[in-house]
Amino acid sequence: MASCLQISDDEKGHDLELFCVPRHYESDLDKVIIPHGLIMDRTERLARDIIQDMGGHHIVALCVLKGGYKFFADLLDYIKVLNHNSDKSVPLTVDFIRVKSYCNDKSTNSIKVIGGDELSNLAGKNVLIVEDIVETGRTMQTLLSLLNECNPKMVKVVSLLVKRTPRSSGYRPDYIGFEVPDAFLVGYALDYNEYFRDLSHICILNEQAKEKYKM
Amino acid sequence: MATSSSCVVISDEEQGYDLDLFCIPKHYAADLERVYIPHGLILDRTERLAREIMKEMGGHHIVALCVLKGGYKFFADLLDYIKALNRNSDRSIPMTVDFIRLKSYCNDQSTGEIKVIGGDDLSTLTGKNVLIVEDIIDTGKTMKTLLQLLKQYNPKMVKVFNAPVFMKETHPFSLFLCVSVVGFEVPDKFVVGYALDYNEYFRDLNHICVISETGKEKYKA
Repeated sequence: MASCLQISDDEKGHDLELFCVPRHYESDLDKVIIPHGLIMDRTERLARDIIQDMGGHHIVALCVLKGGYKFFADLLDYIKVLNHNSDKSVPLTVDFIRVKSYCNDKSTNSIKVIGGDELSNLAGKNVLIVEDIVETGRTMQTLLSLLNECNPKMVKVVSLLVKRTPRSSGYRPDYIGFEVPDAFLVGYALDYNEYFRDLSHICILNEQAKEKYKM
Repeated sequence: MATSSSCVVISDEEQGYDLDLFCIPKHYAADLERVYIPHGLILDRTERLAREIMKEMGGHHIVALCVLKGGYKFFADLLDYIKALNRNSDRSIPMTVDFIRLKSYCNDQSTGEIKVIGGDDLSTLTGKNVLIVEDIIDTGKTMKTLLQLLKQYNPKMVKVFNAPVFMKETHPFSLFLCVSVVGFEVPDKFVVGYALDYNEYFRDLNHICVISETGKEKYKA
């Protein structure tokens, strides 16, 4: 059972004034829920846990675009730092995929994997899927069964966030940064209609802002 | 026509730095000759490039287009600096990110044709300030073809950013490329590191280094 940092449902969060938040977002956010430094510290530990389990063999780090790229870049930086300073060095290749999910009437998911190298390249490797947030978990479950057909040595999933939601299928990634409430979160890797990319902390979006930045 | 912008010029005689002066992953110790452009220097240059980009493009919705796979490291670092600048501005600036892969096809007449894989519908570029982020420009043919393709969608502005750029005399195409923002101009050496891979290796190397003969053999396809 993956350990993770729990942000409880009644988490008050931090006042915006205690941190640096872009001035133009001040009226759009309620609270800072996860400060940027905390995200980085937790990510550093995830990197260590991952290397401990997967470090014996060539790792293919698979980034799920677009949301995953920020967390992917930071996680890989920490993994590289561990490479520099430890006895064990891990050859690391990277790849990028996009996952489009299609739900049919019987609500069994099918997904389409776009981009990425030939999935057959994954055979015999330790595959690490890097995702920003898992909500229902169904997309990830479908992706995993697809990847397992390529006979990798090992497949693990790391997700920065897992949402605590009744819609969850029960799937839990192998490595979890934070378990968060079912609230409207923005910042760090999570944008809202292309806004909030310049916000480093994860915050709760207020109602007015949802309207303001609506498509 | 080539837009000449100032950039850090690494001369042909540049020897680079001894590997022992820096931190290199242990598994590459025998595979590299010298450190050519240290990671910190890349970041410092990138920080300045971000400022220049914002000066030219910051007034309008930016679409930052990352050319995978080599471009992702530069992309992430450049965007971090751009975001830091955004944080201190007065307005909320929407910034779209997108990721594409380019496959180039050369026919006998060596007119390059390229296929753009992934990415949102290119029509979303209409009216936006498009910033293409690429890791290295070699002959310039692929980029030239991509730019012509993107022009059809009527973006407001298109700029190309990359950190090291090869300017080879033997490839006149590169001289006609509208490369607007250049990090470094480098000699024609076999460099790896900071997302410049050699058959998928060296992506986990922070500094741009010259690969050794041992390395070339070892990681041969």
